[in-house]
Amino acid sequence: MSNLETWKKAAAKEYQTASIEEMNFLTSEGVTLRPLYTEEDLKNLPNIDSMPGLEPFMRGPRPTMYSKKPWTVRQYAGFSTAEESNAFYRKALRDGGQGISVAFDLPTHRGYDSDHPRVKGDVGKAGVAIDSVEDMKILFQDIPLDKVSVSMTMNGAVIPIMAMYIVAAEEQGVEAVKLSGTIQNDILKEFIVRNTYIYPPQQSLQLVADIIEFTAKHMPKFNSISISGYHMQEAGADSALELAYTLADGQEYVKLACARGLSVDEFAPRLSFFFGMGLNFYMEIAKLRAARVLWSEIMTKLGAEDPRSKTLRTHCQTSGQSLTEQDPFNNIVRTTIEAMAGVFGGTQSLHTNAFDEAVALPSALSSRIARNTQLILQEETQITKVIDPWGGSFMMESLTNDLINRTKVLMEEVKNAGGMLRAIELGIPKRNIERASAQKQARVDKGLDIIVGVNKYRTDEETSFEILQVDNVTVLKNQVNRLKAVRSNRDNKKVEECLGALKNYAQSGKGNALALAIKAVRARATLGEISSALEDSWGRYQATPSSLSGIYDKMFLNDPSWKNSMDRVKKFQKKHGRRPRILLAKLGQDGHDRGIKVVASGLADAGFDVDLSPLFSTPDEIAKIAIENDVHIVGVSSQAAAHKTLIPELIHILKTKKSSDIKVICGGVIPKQDFSFLEKAGVGLIFGPASPIPTIVEKILDLFE
Amino acid sequence: MDSIDLNKLIAGEPRTLARAITLVESQNPKHQRESKNLLKHIFNLKKSSFRISISGAPGAGKSTLIEALGLYLVSRGRKVAVLTIDPTSPISGGSILGDKVRMEKLATSPHAFIRPSPTNLHVGGATNRTREAILLCEAAGFDIIIVETVGVGQTEFQVKNMVDAFVLAISPLSGDSIQGMKKGILELADLLAITKNDGESESLAKTTLHDYRESLQFSHRSDQWTPPIMAVSSLNMTGIADLWDSLQKYFSFKQSSGTLEKDRLDQQVIWAQDLFWESIHNRFKPKIENSTVQKKILKMLKSKMNPEQVAEVIFKSISN
Repeated sequence: MSNLETWKKAAAKEYQTASIEEMNFLTSEGVTLRPLYTEEDLKNLPNIDSMPGLEPFMRGPRPTMYSKKPWTVRQYAGFSTAEESNAFYRKALRDGGQGISVAFDLPTHRGYDSDHPRVKGDVGKAGVAIDSVEDMKILFQDIPLDKVSVSMTMNGAVIPIMAMYIVAAEEQGVEAVKLSGTIQNDILKEFIVRNTYIYPPQQSLQLVADIIEFTAKHMPKFNSISISGYHMQEAGADSALELAYTLADGQEYVKLACARGLSVDEFAPRLSFFFGMGLNFYMEIAKLRAARVLWSEIMTKLGAEDPRSKTLRTHCQTSGQSLTEQDPFNNIVRTTIEAMAGVFGGTQSLHTNAFDEAVALPSALSSRIARNTQLILQEETQITKVIDPWGGSFMMESLTNDLINRTKVLMEEVKNAGGMLRAIELGIPKRNIERASAQKQARVDKGLDIIVGVNKYRTDEETSFEILQVDNVTVLKNQVNRLKAVRSNRDNKKVEECLGALKNYAQSGKGNALALAIKAVRARATLGEISSALEDSWGRYQATPSSLSGIYDKMFLNDPSWKNSMDRVKKFQKKHGRRPRILLAKLGQDGHDRGIKVVASGLADAGFDVDLSPLFSTPDEIAKIAIENDVHIVGVSSQAAAHKTLIPELIHILKTKKSSDIKVICGGVIPKQDFSFLEKAGVGLIFGPASPIPTIVEKILDLFE
Repeated sequence: MDSIDLNKLIAGEPRTLARAITLVESQNPKHQRESKNLLKHIFNLKKSSFRISISGAPGAGKSTLIEALGLYLVSRGRKVAVLTIDPTSPISGGSILGDKVRMEKLATSPHAFIRPSPTNLHVGGATNRTREAILLCEAAGFDIIIVETVGVGQTEFQVKNMVDAFVLAISPLSGDSIQGMKKGILELADLLAITKNDGESESLAKTTLHDYRESLQFSHRSDQWTPPIMAVSSLNMTGIADLWDSLQKYFSFKQSSGTLEKDRLDQQVIWAQDLFWESIHNRFKPKIENSTVQKKILKMLKSKMNPEQVAEVIFKSISN
């Protein structure tokens, strides 16, 4: 008998099972993890002899990897104002940071100036407000843009933001050719998750192509797209879904640029990627290894010859979704594990989340710990000394190969749908991610997936720490004043002329939007004006939120407390003559809708009538829907800190319309500190992140008994 | 629930109208009594409107068509109420109502009122309260009422009996061949709108339009109306004005030929019948679901009687 057979017998005996297969674990990706891998598993694996820096790059994009120079520590940050952000960047650069990464506020993402009536609750939230090149110049004051690489997370308003960056550099005396950095510019994933788009898919893609074309010609050191899977993972995608849709997006961009007449090798070396790093340690390492192999194959098929075109270079960020509000210092440990997965997977740069990000924007302390996590990995351990340390592991090599195969199946589905654009229009990726997300949440709620401090090992001890508060009112006032100054000190005729050229472009599709926007920005056109010039003919895109149902039904089929909730719903129905009816609303410019969709799906399964609202609604619009639909409750989901402005406003409007019997509750990323403020404003219930659906159901029903 | 202030309802106050619809939809017996009382007043108001339904397969572009038509009408000073019917989950009984999301602009208009209602498929003969809701909207001063139904099937036949004009939305992308369409549904249509006559689907829309015009024969309509078939784009708002013109023509045609009055009377007959069946159902439901009766049924079945025989025995004993 072979050693393996002997082990199988011994293991089966110890596990007290007849079949060793019972010890297998089926991951959400659909990959089977076995308790033991052996040399047998390496047989016939195609890339087992590959080398770092050589095709297909499984073991790393560069020959020396971290043994020469470790990954870049790149912490994404944006404070409300250009001044604060600038001070932060300069300090970070003094402290040894090599590049800066800009987070914009939501109105900027969505192409609105700060003084637009729809966005007053969102200005300066979740990032810096940029309305004109004057803001951009302050943002980069005393930062030499020919030396410091700038990464900008921007997808919706890419054109005005790129133009403002280029003009700010120009007025600093730096030519575009010398600029280095990355613009996210990955609009496809916005249509799948996150929703920070402005225009419909086709027109948005035209802008992506304009940027690829412009940078290929004028900005050779600038990465024109960062193809992102991160947001898919945050929205609940497992690693295979994240990989498949990110690579399919990438493929679509390459085809798009080729259709513009560019040759693959002209722009492909400037494409970069961005993945999320969650807690499934082995899988995440395998994900980066698999991604490189798959990209190299895809690019070879698309005609790339330059090896640099076939190399997948990536930035990684630890998972925000894995962070918990409860027992928050645990998050430091989670982030460390995730960071290690990124490092073992061979990332080129890394952002580590701060432990308080489940409830607020990071404070100075939490940011420092986050950054130090990476510095400790780089400098206190010997992790960087060995390239691809998991290479050759029986398990890791098999897992990488299994994940490659699983991803190919999903990519095939996209191909059969008629390509990624068509698949997105059909809602295929969105639906698959939402299903994965609702299943994951249901597993956590049921206690099948463990989260320490949340559904197991809970503590009553309160952890207190400082939370960054954003003074939205002052930020808004300053932005509005600065906009006024810009508008009164410019040659309006010139501005109109430039905007007219952009309008013509939108109608005819001829020319390059970025080149035209640069002229407009020089003349001091604002971000909102440039966006509207295109919006006039293209319109503003509105996705249709939908929701799945039936997932909680299945998962909680025989659960006594779930049954009890459903009985209470029936009692409610008898008493009130109808089911409890709830309007789930997203207020303001925040497009994160993972949470609200899971809640919608869970409440409908519990027997509620659930009304969905359009994304990006104002309190007025939500009040109108709540009244017409005559709901019992409005549930507001807030992910981006606008709750302190918009929720009280909603309650006030309902009151003036004599509808204060409609109860308002909220959930999402809401710090404990804000609870009493919201309660005073009249909010009936507040749910922190990852509140279990059955609890939400119970507490809502309590309100009516 | 507080009682409904009739004056506020007639003044068109949205909150009152919304709550009145809730009242007529309520399954609570006390609410149902109040509802009857309210409807008595409403019937006496004798207000009226142009009642239109828009139906079609899922993805046919119904909601966007309603949004486009609604915005067009609102811009011409009309007051538009939209009633949408959403399917209810047969397992949990809950519903997800997302129609307003697809009528985002119309939903914000102060001259429009949109009310999605769950189908609440109860067992047996209970019907939904769309007819009552139509009357309430009319009482509140809405002069155009649009009813949206989901799916093509049973509900379409019901809705046909509630409205003056039945519009069928057909997507050029659906690949619905005319043969594939349920013949009965096509015959219900007073107007056919081929949607998505824009962008990539424009040429397909034109082909679909051509096909439908070529092969549809409405010769056997007793009222001599030939249902127009037209292509529209909700996105570019093209064909919407034509659609409205045709609908108005049909309405005038019905008025002048007397069919409007006749149809509405026929519809009330059906309405009365539906309510009759509903009260039969409501009266007998508790009797049949009574536990002694249930035990009796089980016993008879075990004694080798077949369900038909069982039903006969039970019916006799209950109806006595």
